[in-house]
Amino acid sequence: MVQYRTQVKIIADVLSTARDLNSEGEGVGVTALLRRANMSYGRISKLLSELVGSGLLEELSVEKTSKYIITTKGMQFLVAYQGFEDFAESFGLRL
Amino acid sequence: MADLVLIENILQFIGAFVSLSIAAVAVKGFRQTGSPALLRLATAFAFLGVGFGVEGLVALGPFAAIFATTALVGGLLLETTGYFFLAFSHVIDVTIAKRRGLALLVFPFISLSSVQAVAALSILSFYFVLYGFVETFASYLKNRRPDTLLIAGGLALIGTGTFVQWLSLVYPPVDVLSQVLSLVQILMKEIGLMILFVPVIGFAMGARKLDGTV
Repeated sequence: MVQYRTQVKIIADVLSTARDLNSEGEGVGVTALLRRANMSYGRISKLLSELVGSGLLEELSVEKTSKYIITTKGMQFLVAYQGFEDFAESFGLRL
Repeated sequence: MADLVLIENILQFIGAFVSLSIAAVAVKGFRQTGSPALLRLATAFAFLGVGFGVEGLVALGPFAAIFATTALVGGLLLETTGYFFLAFSHVIDVTIAKRRGLALLVFPFISLSSVQAVAALSILSFYFVLYGFVETFASYLKNRRPDTLLIAGGLALIGTGTFVQWLSLVYPPVDVLSQVLSLVQILMKEIGLMILFVPVIGFAMGARKLDGTV
């Protein structure tokens, strides 16, 4: 049976990709994010602007392209997500 | 007889404490992650906690006799609403429930006598918890997490407790058997709730670990 990701899980996937692929500190491009997060360009563009708006990601303009860096608030979200994911799963729920 | 009532009171307040603690952790999780699943869990346990608290207060006797029956049915209604959210937290949309769910739940009980209302609420609770048990056990079959199996066991105990509560209504309230069944049902619910408390303890320990490492 196909198990759909919840919105919170999608946000966590995008943020963890932005964290994991940012080894050089220059940010992560949209292509890398959509490939790892397994989303269409249209959906991820909308989500990225929401995440930037809520302060979970920071947008950088590098040579006319946008790159994204996870913020401290985004890191805090991921820590909380990991903690509460176990809690919810104990009750048979998905975050 | 008075001892049984006192024990039942204490257990009701313990139930309120445990339920509200779980609700508090779920609210914290909802604030930090925005997860609707945690909001539903918090709603379920908040209703259960307030329901247990009201039932405990009724037995303590601060209400005038005329309000005591209404308060008891009110407490049970809150408890049943809690079981409703707990059972259907897998599927329901809480925004719809906020708009219409409560009105739909309250309406049928307006025209019932208190004993009929208590019986109806007990058996409704039983079905909700049974559904919650089946869903949680199905989740366990998928994720094979021991704590999910533990929660399913806790729900099974709470479900059996609500069924025993319904059975206790068969006998007159002054009958000793009715009192014993009443105590057994609250004991089963309490043990079930204690089991549901395990993830909260696990979460608190995990949070301490995270605090130590971050």
